[in-house]
Amino acid sequence: MYLQIGIILAVMVLVYALAKWRKLSIEISMLSAAVAGGIAGAFPGTPPVSQLARHLVEGAFTYLDVILVFSTATIFMAIVSESGGVNYVVRGTIKYFYNVRIIALMLLMIIILIPGALTGAGSVSLLVVGAPVALALGYLGIKKRRVAAILFIVAGLSAAAPPVNIWAMILSAGTAIPYVGFELPLGIPVLVLGTFTILSLGWRRERKMPLDTVLKEMPEVPAGMSWWRVLLPFLAFFGLVIACRLLPFSFPILGLPLEFVVAALVAWLVSPIRIKILSLSRDTMKRLLPLLATIVVVGMLQQIMTATGVRGMLSFAVISTPLILLFISLAVIIPVSEGVLTYGGAAIIGIPLIWYLDSIGLHATVAIAGLSLLWPLGDGLPPTALIGRLSVMVSEYKDSYWTFLRSTWLPWLVITIVGILMVVFSARLEFLVRWSI
Amino acid sequence: MSREWTIKFVLLAAVAAIIVMAGFQLYNHRHYRTSIVTGPGVTKVVKLSDYSEGLKGTMADTNVFFLEGKEEGGTVLILANTHANEPAALLSALILLENAVVDKGTLIIIPQFNNSAGRNTRPGDGYPLYFEIPTDWGSKKFRMGNRDASPLDQWPDPDVYVHYPEKQLLSFLDVRNTNRTWPGRKNGPLMERVTYGAMQIMREEKVDIAVDIHGAETMFPVTNCIVAPDKSMRIAIMTSLTVKSRERFDNHVESSPSGFRGLSHREIGDYSDTMPFLLEAPLPFLDQPTGPKTVDLLLDGKDPFLLSLSKKRKLFVPYDETGWPMEKRVGQHCSVTLELIRQFSRKYPERTITIRNVPRYAEVVKNGVGYYYHDPAKTDKKNVYIN
Amino acid sequence: MPLIMIIYYAICVYIGAMLIWNFLREKKSVNDMLLYLLILIPLVLRILRVK
Repeated sequence: MYLQIGIILAVMVLVYALAKWRKLSIEISMLSAAVAGGIAGAFPGTPPVSQLARHLVEGAFTYLDVILVFSTATIFMAIVSESGGVNYVVRGTIKYFYNVRIIALMLLMIIILIPGALTGAGSVSLLVVGAPVALALGYLGIKKRRVAAILFIVAGLSAAAPPVNIWAMILSAGTAIPYVGFELPLGIPVLVLGTFTILSLGWRRERKMPLDTVLKEMPEVPAGMSWWRVLLPFLAFFGLVIACRLLPFSFPILGLPLEFVVAALVAWLVSPIRIKILSLSRDTMKRLLPLLATIVVVGMLQQIMTATGVRGMLSFAVISTPLILLFISLAVIIPVSEGVLTYGGAAIIGIPLIWYLDSIGLHATVAIAGLSLLWPLGDGLPPTALIGRLSVMVSEYKDSYWTFLRSTWLPWLVITIVGILMVVFSARLEFLVRWSI
Repeated sequence: MSREWTIKFVLLAAVAAIIVMAGFQLYNHRHYRTSIVTGPGVTKVVKLSDYSEGLKGTMADTNVFFLEGKEEGGTVLILANTHANEPAALLSALILLENAVVDKGTLIIIPQFNNSAGRNTRPGDGYPLYFEIPTDWGSKKFRMGNRDASPLDQWPDPDVYVHYPEKQLLSFLDVRNTNRTWPGRKNGPLMERVTYGAMQIMREEKVDIAVDIHGAETMFPVTNCIVAPDKSMRIAIMTSLTVKSRERFDNHVESSPSGFRGLSHREIGDYSDTMPFLLEAPLPFLDQPTGPKTVDLLLDGKDPFLLSLSKKRKLFVPYDETGWPMEKRVGQHCSVTLELIRQFSRKYPERTITIRNVPRYAEVVKNGVGYYYHDPAKTDKKNVYIN
Repeated sequence: MPLIMIIYYAICVYIGAMLIWNFLREKKSVNDMLLYLLILIPLVLRILRVK
């Protein structure tokens, strides 16, 4: 069995490398690897060849809801942006806080943290507030590369922040540990690490211009734009999110996509300029193409890897690693699993890992919190690099992706150390869980 | 035709071919119907929607089978396929349904409790669509379901699932998991209506004990066990000790955590007079570090990675080259269920439930599971329920 | 079918229509044409209530 699965894995890696060498896109390279893995697996009947198409299609469904969230959220933000709302917010932020840098930076960090914390998706943070925050950071004299780095790290932390942390929820659901007591074990590190990130990457002012010049340089805001026109769509969105949370038994379940659709309709109705909704939606979907295709293909890849046993073998390799080496290798294993499989990594590696750590006397809740600080880092790693690519997109950073990623090294390192230490010393940090409940 | 349109046409045809091929298989899976043969003990068949109106006309509605004894006594409710990807539960429930004769008291069986999940496949996890159990008259084919109900029946998921009525935050996926939606609501999301229906059965039929049958990973600490809250604990412990001493298999007892909401072993006890028990038998197929997810792995539970991990003492159940065959798992469920009923009857003689003609562990291991199933083709049609 | 579920099917139809529109407008990139179709796979089967 080891040899059989090893050969299938080798075929997948080889085809992926070959596809990249032939300069095919990441998405098509991953698709090629999935198809090749499936065909290689069909020889020993894992999966049977008659099931290959079904596995690919079924895998494509893995993240259908995420596709809907990404699509609706981006269309919503595109409307806000088109109406001049984004420029209006940035202008306001700069006008009031340009000379009080620390407050401006902290405020912007909190703005990024909130949507992700409420929805569990860093992507939502970037799609909803990423563009205006990126512009504001730019006018505060921070280079685009560093702006993208700040957005990536803080959006990742927002996804890990309580109350909704999808990795922790997947692990809790999979390990039958209640999703309770995460407020402090997640909230404290997220706030501390977020502050560290925004100050370490954003404190240095690369260029300083007088406020008047900055305001002159900024794009014009359409006539008639006002605070209420900007705020109303966001109030509609957060209002619905909070209503679902506060009145769970009397308010219908709307789900994020519909919440974004309602917000988009409000934004469209209150826009001071006429927006052609159809062509805007079409262009938005075009912009989202690589991201959405990645999500679909990752689902297919994940399904083929499971059906062939490759996923199981990788999980086995992680669980079989000696403890000390395991702790050290978490720095690589966790982000890479996220980079390859997104949330699938939490299920494949996280669930058996938590059972194992729990069985040797570590505290599962704190360990999950520690690990879920590491997972968002993987959202910057290829092949998927979902949050990394979104950060680059909304900050309009145009240079090499790797240069952007390199500039995140300091917060990346600190987050990794904090996350691993939380896992190693989880039993001693158990009081954080007690104080949360 | 221009080059552009030729390419578009070829791509469209290729993707359409894949969609059609896979679409048919997935459609057929959702609409495949298993024949359920009712045995001599079955006296009444109703729908879960008779107890929870909101289920009428939905894929979540399911059959509820009553096996009533001639003499009055206690009542036991058996739930299977709460998680439809843990098939030993359904197979055990069908053995009871096809063979049990109740002399005293009432046995109520819901073999396909999460009917929607039984018609759902699990994206990303590479399951087979069906599995077959060999019998004396051929093989009996079953759908391989999912842990959660189908989004075709309940959509969308919330941002986060707020448990009713305790308000505990649970994963958004759990809104479709009928072992997180207990005790349920009359007008809640569809899966809450499913659990509400079962709660209504327990209240209206004065159910004394409820047995919710599951399977769990070998790497999961809560496996090969009976999970019970305080009120059911004594009977669970007696059952565990008895099967260990008389039938020579382990089935330890786990206490139901009071802070983890939505589970049958917690909410049934807290929101009704019924004593709940949740049975877990090891299910290697669900473990993450396994080889390909094949029908063989599902049925015999043999896996080289798990064997290696077992040697490193990383599993929570004994595991050797023989794996964890389906007969062992189903046999355990049958014996533990019968023993729970026996222990309950001993403790509460006025509510005695007497059941006969159900095989125990050793018999199922010896004869195989399929031995106890009857040929629907040779059974009177009025005793065959197709679902 | 509940109203909110119907709205979700409508959202899928809308997104699907945008993808098809882009697919039809795409002149050069075979890569992009294929990617549009890949994203359509789950949307189409959901709209048809197959999966």
